[in-house]
Amino acid sequence: MTANVKDKAAIVGIANTEFSKNSGRSELQLAAEAVAGALEDAGLKPSDVDGMTTFTMDNTDEIELARAVGIGDLSFYSRVPHGGGAATGLIHQAAMAVASGMAETIVCYRSLNGRSGHRYSSGVSGNLLTADAIHWGWYMPYGLVTPASWVAMYTQRYMHLTNCTHDSLFEVAHTMREYAATNPAALFYDQRFDRAEYDAQKKIVDPFRLYDCCLESDGASAVIITTTERAKDLRQPGVVVKGVGQAAAANMESMTSFYRDEIAAIPSMDIAASKAYEQSGLTPDDIDAAVIYDAFTPIVLWQLESWGFCKHGEAHDFVMDGALRPGGRLPTNTHGGQLSEAYIHGVNGIVEAARLVRKTSVNQPDKEVNHVLVTSGVGVPTGGALLGSMDTL
Amino acid sequence: MSIDTRDFSNVAVGDTLPPREVPITSALIVGGALASRDFTTVHHDKKAAQKGGLPDIFMNILTSNGLMGSYVTNWAGPDSCTKKIDLKLGAPNLPGFIMTLTGEVKAIDEASGTVDIEVLGENNVWGMHMQGTVRVQLPKGAEA
Amino acid sequence: MNPEETKEFEQKIHAFVGRENGPPKKGKDAVNEPMIRQWAEVMGDESPVYTDKETAKNTTKGGIIAPPSMLQAWSMEGYPMAGSPAVDVQRSLHNVFDENGFTGVLGTNTSTEFFRDLKPGDEVTYHTVIESISEQKSTARGIGYFIETVTQFTDQNGERVGKQVFRVLKFIPADAPAEASSVADDSPAVPTRIAAPRGHDNGWWWEAADKGKVLIQRCKSCQTLRHPPRPMCGECQSVEWDSIESTLDGEIFSFTVLHYPKVPGYDYPLCCAVISLAEGTRIVANVVGIDTEEVKIGMKVKGKVEQVDEKTMLPQFYPVAGGQ
Repeated sequence: MTANVKDKAAIVGIANTEFSKNSGRSELQLAAEAVAGALEDAGLKPSDVDGMTTFTMDNTDEIELARAVGIGDLSFYSRVPHGGGAATGLIHQAAMAVASGMAETIVCYRSLNGRSGHRYSSGVSGNLLTADAIHWGWYMPYGLVTPASWVAMYTQRYMHLTNCTHDSLFEVAHTMREYAATNPAALFYDQRFDRAEYDAQKKIVDPFRLYDCCLESDGASAVIITTTERAKDLRQPGVVVKGVGQAAAANMESMTSFYRDEIAAIPSMDIAASKAYEQSGLTPDDIDAAVIYDAFTPIVLWQLESWGFCKHGEAHDFVMDGALRPGGRLPTNTHGGQLSEAYIHGVNGIVEAARLVRKTSVNQPDKEVNHVLVTSGVGVPTGGALLGSMDTL
Repeated sequence: MSIDTRDFSNVAVGDTLPPREVPITSALIVGGALASRDFTTVHHDKKAAQKGGLPDIFMNILTSNGLMGSYVTNWAGPDSCTKKIDLKLGAPNLPGFIMTLTGEVKAIDEASGTVDIEVLGENNVWGMHMQGTVRVQLPKGAEA
Repeated sequence: MNPEETKEFEQKIHAFVGRENGPPKKGKDAVNEPMIRQWAEVMGDESPVYTDKETAKNTTKGGIIAPPSMLQAWSMEGYPMAGSPAVDVQRSLHNVFDENGFTGVLGTNTSTEFFRDLKPGDEVTYHTVIESISEQKSTARGIGYFIETVTQFTDQNGERVGKQVFRVLKFIPADAPAEASSVADDSPAVPTRIAAPRGHDNGWWWEAADKGKVLIQRCKSCQTLRHPPRPMCGECQSVEWDSIESTLDGEIFSFTVLHYPKVPGYDYPLCCAVISLAEGTRIVANVVGIDTEEVKIGMKVKGKVEQVDEKTMLPQFYPVAGGQ
């Protein structure tokens, strides 16, 4: 059965706060600023909002945020689990709510003091008292406690089975940094590196050195989603949701699905991709640019395979052809990604994907951009969305 | 104890110093603080250290300096002359940790007869405690 | 602090830049042998030029000298630092920080130059100037500012004997422990590994590990093995299970070597691997007894349950000789 969401919903407002290492204010305030910014961008009033969605991991309560911004009655609210895997889950929730008529105008937000507050790189600890604790218990005593170490386990296997080397990891890191270098909003604006500098960084976990790992940052991002009908009358050109998939493949663990027959792949994203393509009627050839979740360099490679831009195990060759670069087959993470713009858990990526469709990215590709892919974090249950311009209706 | 001084001509870039393991104890931290006349409370009073955000008393910077200096002069010998110690502090040294000192000759200067030794002090819990460079002048030409 | 308060605070602290800490001041003690000997004892200084008069005479030093790294010690205020330290300019600056929540203090850098060896009888005079204060920084310890001071050391003849640049961080402690332990405990706190929380579905596995065994859960109904343990069999939905003991013969399916961050209680570089056991299930564990650079996918390993620290029993896997 194919979900009936195609062309029903559109992103009509987008905003980020500034990104920093120390925002100097609460996550609630950051969220409020991003939401108010996105409403302003859309030309909507807070009272137009009747739905909200965010990450289960977000510390900012919906109703506190609604009260802060002046949003009135709500008839829809939801949260998506699994860390960065939730990013496009917000689009998934909002599109379903809009398509079903449960709500008309939905705010999707994510706010975190990810650098000055709790840092994910510090890893999980024994202080967890959730059901999740038992799961982490299989890894913590051995020291496998950080996101980098979990992703490294898949990466070593992937590099063992394919021709992937540090060359393609560098290509991903370097491409993102070059985009960030020309994006004034990026934390790494105007800060380039070369291969020698990349190789000279400290080892984090094999095979990752520092520049293979994303930033930790403070900031918030928000997008407003409403019906395509309503989008026609608003301030900005709408960005239409063509298809959106969300999936947790069989035999899944959060970040540590080490017990599948093969672990050099991300089957959850394969499923999400096929759902999104099916709903939209689009194929990989239709996609002009992408924002691919890049907490670590190799996860970009695996997602390119999941979304069919190359065959499984062949992403190394695909990126070494310069595919992700400005003039390449699939300009990717034109904002600099989470590696070099900021780590707002992928929601800053949704903002950039909307900009690419609006043709307002600071690194807008020269070619015509009609369809853009945006994805969520992997290793956890994940997802992705295909976005298109109003001309595609 | 060696009372021989290393001769400048016998030292080359890339030479390494034998590693030295320093068990960090409350006695060393307090003893070092007193020997350097540093009575700042965080170096002898656990509660004061905790108020400052650390779990226990921690080594003062003068002791770190002293350990780095002695590590190099023990190697260089009594006639050597220490010219400069550049020290960067990293994670604190707390009781119960073990710090390992390692050193490598990074540069030699023929004209002044000086040798730059890069020293790393790493503890087994939090990693880099200190890293730095010690410049010592060594006597030249035993034949003289 | 709101932005206006921050601005006001920064104006206050920056007013200190360029000020001298006080007029040049003579150290409380002349350079002397007892203090040198005490220093050498603690630091493990073996050189006879610090402690052995006779041997020192026959060196180029011509007699006892003070260890160069001791230079700053001749200028320290001493015991009053613990109670009511003199309120000099630097102290007033620190007080401004303390009043604004920047109570943490940590020396971060020193750069000391030595112009001549100091000998017993030398009298050291020191003169400190507050050289600079950084902009606000976000550090691993917390938000703070770096203060740099420069001290010139001279002797009784007014000759320069050394110079020291000293950098400290004044910071807001990021996570001060809520309650200081009131129990006097001088035993070294050796950190242990993070323990697995034990619940209904996994406690039995860890209890077996405590006794030196690695068990694999088995469905009583269809005999399917499963790890990590779960309450229900995914094949036949039976909740009846028992277990078998693994021989711990295995092969490395994937692995990684961890370098950073270094979590207390673990030794780095630290190898963690996914290991395919002969029984057909997989387990995550450490690979030890081998240079981490030598670990390869496909390598044959053999495990045993070992005590890895004071509190923890864990399976650890060793390479099998010739087992590539």
